[in-house]
Amino acid sequence: MLTDLLIKLALAGIMLFAVLNLAGIQTWLERKQSALMQDRVGANRAVFYLPWKWAFPINWVLKKLGGLGLLHALADVIKLLTKEDFIPASGKPLLHTIAPWISVFFAVVAFAAIPFGDNIELFGRTIELQVANIDGGLLYVLALASLGVYGVILAGMGSGTNLSALGGLRAAAQMLAYEIALGASLIGIVIWYGTLDLQELIRLQGTYLWGWIPNWGIVAQPVACIVFMTAALAETKRVPFDLPEGEPEIIGYFVEYSGMKFGLFFLTDFVETVLVAALTTVLFFGGWQIPYLGPNGFVFPWGGAIELSRLTVVLLGVGAFTVKVSCFIWLFMAIRWTLPRFRYDQLMALGWKGLFPISLANIGLTGLLRVLVR
Amino acid sequence: MPTLTIDGKTVTVPDGTTVLQACEQAGSPVPFYCYHPGLSIAGNCRICLVEIEKTPKLQISCYTPAAEGMVVHTTSDKVLKARQDVLEFLLINHPLDCPVCDQAGECWLQDYYMNYGLYNPKFDEAKVKKPKAVPVGPTVMLDAERCILCSRCVRFCDEITKTGELGIFNRGDHSEIGVAPGIELKNDYSGCVVDICPVGALTDRDFRFKCRVWYLNSTKSVCPGCSMGCNIEIHDNRERTQRPHVATGARVMRLKPRYNAEVNRWWMCDTGRYAYTAIDEQRLTTVQQRNGQGYQISTWNDALDTLASTLRRLRDARQLDRVGIILSTQMTNEDLYAAKRVAQALGIRNLAVQGPARPGKHDDFLMKADTSPNTRGAQALGLSLDAAGLFGRAARGELSLLYVCGPDVVDTYGRSVADQVQQSVELFVYQGSNVGGSSQAAGLVLPAAVYAEKDGTFTNDQGRVQRIRQAVAPLGESKPDWKIWTELAAHLDVPVSYADASAVFAELASREPAFQGLSYEVIGDAGALLKA
Amino acid sequence: MPTPLSNELLHRLRDARRRRPLTWWERTYLPSIGLGLWVTSVHFWRNLFLHIAHRVGAFRNFPASVTIQYPDQQRATSPRLRTRHRLMQRDDGTPRCVGCMLCETVCPAKCIYITPAEHPDPNIEKVAKSFDIDLGKCVYCGYCVEVCPEDAIRMDTQRHDIAATSRDGMWLDMTELLHPGSRKPGAPPKKYVQLSLDDCRRLKDAPQA
Repeated sequence: MLTDLLIKLALAGIMLFAVLNLAGIQTWLERKQSALMQDRVGANRAVFYLPWKWAFPINWVLKKLGGLGLLHALADVIKLLTKEDFIPASGKPLLHTIAPWISVFFAVVAFAAIPFGDNIELFGRTIELQVANIDGGLLYVLALASLGVYGVILAGMGSGTNLSALGGLRAAAQMLAYEIALGASLIGIVIWYGTLDLQELIRLQGTYLWGWIPNWGIVAQPVACIVFMTAALAETKRVPFDLPEGEPEIIGYFVEYSGMKFGLFFLTDFVETVLVAALTTVLFFGGWQIPYLGPNGFVFPWGGAIELSRLTVVLLGVGAFTVKVSCFIWLFMAIRWTLPRFRYDQLMALGWKGLFPISLANIGLTGLLRVLVR
Repeated sequence: MPTLTIDGKTVTVPDGTTVLQACEQAGSPVPFYCYHPGLSIAGNCRICLVEIEKTPKLQISCYTPAAEGMVVHTTSDKVLKARQDVLEFLLINHPLDCPVCDQAGECWLQDYYMNYGLYNPKFDEAKVKKPKAVPVGPTVMLDAERCILCSRCVRFCDEITKTGELGIFNRGDHSEIGVAPGIELKNDYSGCVVDICPVGALTDRDFRFKCRVWYLNSTKSVCPGCSMGCNIEIHDNRERTQRPHVATGARVMRLKPRYNAEVNRWWMCDTGRYAYTAIDEQRLTTVQQRNGQGYQISTWNDALDTLASTLRRLRDARQLDRVGIILSTQMTNEDLYAAKRVAQALGIRNLAVQGPARPGKHDDFLMKADTSPNTRGAQALGLSLDAAGLFGRAARGELSLLYVCGPDVVDTYGRSVADQVQQSVELFVYQGSNVGGSSQAAGLVLPAAVYAEKDGTFTNDQGRVQRIRQAVAPLGESKPDWKIWTELAAHLDVPVSYADASAVFAELASREPAFQGLSYEVIGDAGALLKA
Repeated sequence: MPTPLSNELLHRLRDARRRRPLTWWERTYLPSIGLGLWVTSVHFWRNLFLHIAHRVGAFRNFPASVTIQYPDQQRATSPRLRTRHRLMQRDDGTPRCVGCMLCETVCPAKCIYITPAEHPDPNIEKVAKSFDIDLGKCVYCGYCVEVCPEDAIRMDTQRHDIAATSRDGMWLDMTELLHPGSRKPGAPPKKYVQLSLDDCRRLKDAPQA
């Protein structure tokens, strides 16, 4: 029992560590990637040195890190922590305070169901590399993603000003609109693979169509993939769907937030980006699967095989998962710095009149195909 | 009474009028430098040339008597060309000093050149060098290069002051104004040569580099220096809020005489001209109450409460004859009247006006021995001039409250008598504008505005009531005397109150027989005489 | 009565208003999104490669960014650009300024403060003994330069960094104006500093004094 608990805690620790670090690195990525895309240099000034003589090697490293802009994240944290935590006189302090925590909590907790590797044998047990091995993992993730809207609404209402309340409502409307398309697009996946368990879903993606094409979601459900990625981007409220957050121009739900509470909303954004990237990987890009890598090593359909130990295979899988997630984070960032923002009516039209009917059609088509293929 | 035609307009002028004066009357003024209505005619600047029909050449209008049937043109091509040529000649040796010249901005050479000058000069030979920045006297700085040799200053010294310090030396284009070796331009009216100099040749050493003239604001007023009542203009630095560095923040930059045919004509004496420093220096700006040996800054309300409660106590004890009020001939008619009204309403009879502490220089031109501007006004208001007696009674211990309004009695009667007064009276109030012996001896010091900070009237020794006007706001917390009196009245529930100085004067004129029929409108800029 | 539009202009207006209808494929926006991502990605990878190459000393001739690292690198500006003021000196280091107050008068921001004094040479007659400019008020219109009869003030120092931590920190006294850059950064500003002609001569030899 205790061992189980320890194992779960360790897994949760690994997951939390990875997710929060990826989120943190994104603040750097955001600055640097946008700079490179726009022919700029980007952040390269924040640096500090230790005052002691013996610390010169450390200072040398700090100088290099500062030149790369990596210490800016630290500067951000110091700034956010030392800023005044302002609650408007008309606001409700409790709601105002818990809203960012609710946002970040549901975003982080959703990762419990994400499998980041195959199972390993340890201490005489089989351990799935997944914090919570839930049968209906997909539903769990979707449910928690939907709960994130509470943070937004509470922030808008708790601030006690009309503008932030309107911003909160607008954000909620957007999230609900895309929630529908998001869920509907995933029904295709569920029909195709016949499971809601994410680990099982990944294992099924390890099979091959006609013996050589990996049975990944992108291959089986290309339309669902595009719909899902679009809707998921909208869920994270990032450009081009960042209407709830357009702080200076259209006033979003966290207009009355400052300091670390604002920082938490910021963090939520980045965590959600990681979540969406992880979900895309899990659902459409084979999770930790590497094509032709079986439990005992590579087995190529055109003949030939490379024998690998079990541990190597699992670690390769974890590595593949990380690389895939990173690629998607990069892609989302590239989209964010390429596309301009939608108008609100365009946003709603795309959600309700574009993605939703397409995903419904996709369900019908998938069902038909499933019946025919069977 | 010749009648002549000037630029098509017919004008009839008295006998002896010159063509220049006739042109002015006809509304076609002619430019001039050497002509001055207060001086003899020299006719040497040649810029007042006009065309008179049936004369072969252009005539100088300043020296040509107007004659019956003359037809004069002041703006014909010939005249304009002549003016242009004269200006060209005048500028041959005139340096292009305008930026560093104090006269710039009020320079007749600049003005006429702008109007009539030759904008494309042909002169490129070397200019004649002459002495520059020579102090010819304690008040006047000479720049011989800038001089256009109009000789106004020479005539002034010969004819008005009859001292004759200045002269024209050398010949031709080496002619220059100067003083003989060992002689200084030092007389009681030397500042006037600066006023009449049309260019920057003679500038005022006191005003030198102090302030550019285009920062100045001008207010019509009357000199408070003596009972002559010379009409003046107060020039203050209009831009002192934006340019606090100019003359280290002083407000009044200089005084200039103002023409009044009946009083000073165009002139004023140097004593009055340079007496303006009292407006900005050594001023009382706060209400102070004695606190042991030192003073404590107080408020108007507290100070007037203290004064009013003492007065009320003495009134209730029927001891108002132990109250003495000493006013000053430096105060305006309005101030004196307001004080008199409040004293009457309270029933105070010991009211006297203090004259000047010591007589000033007297001459038969503009300087009077009586160095206060309003002695006639105080007499006309029926006020006693026996301040010495009242002060003596205070020294003998017969007064409980001594309210000195204006004169520096400590300075006048000496420290020892003042000490006696201080010992014997219960409360010694000094209301005045400048720091002095009295402000350091009094138990209560009320800051009063100076003449440049208030509206009012002075009555000169001819009995001419003349207006002074507010040029600058009262410094610090100071207030005009009449205002302080009405505020004291309010603290004592005495119904005496006025909206402004003109309201005080209106009541004064209706109640005081000598001032019957006068008002600020009647007085105007030239003043009006009292009824005998 | 507005002038009638020419036929050609009317046609162009009509055509501009009537946009070409998008095809079905274009209406999905996917091709445009892809094209946009392609453009930005090309920049990203090219600049990433160049940045790394610059680190190892290669491809120095191909800049990876257009950024000028401002305090370290200064952008070359036209000599005609109106930058911070300076006071011109005579050969012996005394100011050319004759304290005529024309610049002070013409200044629309009223940011120039001059105190004149007597010059020992009567042919010069007047000299500024203090000359201050409040850069916090200055609008860089250049009227002071244009109006100066002595060419005593110029705006050609190529200095445009006037940032300070207080309003008074933007105050330039006569020493700083005669010798731009002589004031230590962060040094407390002095107002209405008066310099005699001898002070100016000494400053010429040792402007840091």
